[in-house]
Amino acid sequence: MTEYIKLIDLTKCTGCRGCQVACKNWNGLPAEKTQFIGSLQNPADLSYDTWCLIRFDEIENGSGLKWVMRHDACMHCDWPACVKACPSPGALVKTETGAVVHDPNFCIGCKACTVACPFDIPRYSAVNENISKCTLCYDRITDGRKPACVTSCPTGCLTFGPKAEMQVRARARAAEISGVVYPNNPKYQTNVLYIMPAEIRAAQLQHMNPNPKMPTTVLWWKNLFKPFTLIGMGAVAGAAMLHYMVRGPHEPEKKEGGE
Amino acid sequence: MSGKKEGMVYVTTLQERIVHWLLAGSCLFALLTGLGLMFHSWDFIAALLGGHYAMKWMHIFSGVVFAFSLAGASVMWWEHCKFVPEDAEWVKKAGGYLWDAHDLPPGGMYNAGQKMFFWTVFIFGIIIVISGLIMFNPLIFPVTLARWAYMLHAASVMVIAAFFIIHLYLGTFGNPGTVQIMFHGWATREYCEFHKGKWLAEREKKGGEESQAA
Repeated sequence: MTEYIKLIDLTKCTGCRGCQVACKNWNGLPAEKTQFIGSLQNPADLSYDTWCLIRFDEIENGSGLKWVMRHDACMHCDWPACVKACPSPGALVKTETGAVVHDPNFCIGCKACTVACPFDIPRYSAVNENISKCTLCYDRITDGRKPACVTSCPTGCLTFGPKAEMQVRARARAAEISGVVYPNNPKYQTNVLYIMPAEIRAAQLQHMNPNPKMPTTVLWWKNLFKPFTLIGMGAVAGAAMLHYMVRGPHEPEKKEGGE
Repeated sequence: MSGKKEGMVYVTTLQERIVHWLLAGSCLFALLTGLGLMFHSWDFIAALLGGHYAMKWMHIFSGVVFAFSLAGASVMWWEHCKFVPEDAEWVKKAGGYLWDAHDLPPGGMYNAGQKMFFWTVFIFGIIIVISGLIMFNPLIFPVTLARWAYMLHAASVMVIAAFFIIHLYLGTFGNPGTVQIMFHGWATREYCEFHKGKWLAEREKKGGEESQAA
């Protein structure tokens, strides 16, 4: 199965929210009661029922005030922190398509993924006792179709295709506009890429991690303390047995006859 | 206390034994379910207990029992486990466990090694309980704190799990005559003279074997 990439070209987003609606439509997600928050962003945040959101930022730089509309959803990490943190087999899976999908049937509602995710994507529902998030439309892409958001996009901001091809296209487009590809950490790659124009930096935008990586605490937890819990117990058990064989039980020395 | 037994000394109270086993049982069950949650390859534990969702709640409830029994154990054993000057000597001679040491100072209720185990469980147990509470609902805490909670939870388990094996060995095979103290409460007089000489002398000065072990 091919690995895919979704490319988000920030220079082309007009904030039409076609992706936001298409996502709700395809995934059968109910609308939410929303509130005006003094921004063009609505609803205010991602949620259990909102897997894709157009975020709105007003940033100021040398050339004056600038509006930024940004498609925000799961980044589908190559080495997903959520999957690493998940205690329930099958609840969060990195698939062969590159998509990281959740399965509510296996999710036990522990919320570990919501904390581990470097992009703050998985959302917990206390009512359903499980999490949900963007699946990169796994059900569509395994059927040869594009994700619903990409299909709906009228400006070409969202594009989708095989990984190698999209990586080339991302670099070419970034060079063309003298911008950068986000994220650009070779140790933490994702199946979703942004084309960032030079005048916009990730740190200026809300809910965008300027330096996405596997959280160090997750690494230490899963790669150090987890194995060493067993190694430690085993080593100590071995040492105890050796002690018993070498030193024997700890008893008073004087032994009375017959005992 | 059930009467007096010839040649035996009543070492632990019923309350101590009950709290000990609540603490040990909840700790072990939490360890088992926690390992089942941490190691996907050990999903037979979840299968045995009715699935990962059920196991999550069992882990949480055993944690609650652990927290309360840890509080009880701390109140009961705090005084016994304060370090005294003789403990330094005990540590220097490794309590006679690793090489022969004939001139160990007479022991109190607990030796320096047992005290170290108590303080290890106390300190890392508190870290486990507090981090566990944060992990119960990490969403209401700053994400950095919540991430540290998951890491410290696992780190503390690593420490306590290793010490638990030592405790298990020294409480059974390593020291014959010990394990019964946590079941029926009695130890032989010879055992107490060997392990708890100072404690036995003080206790007999206060009023003989009939007095309750504090």
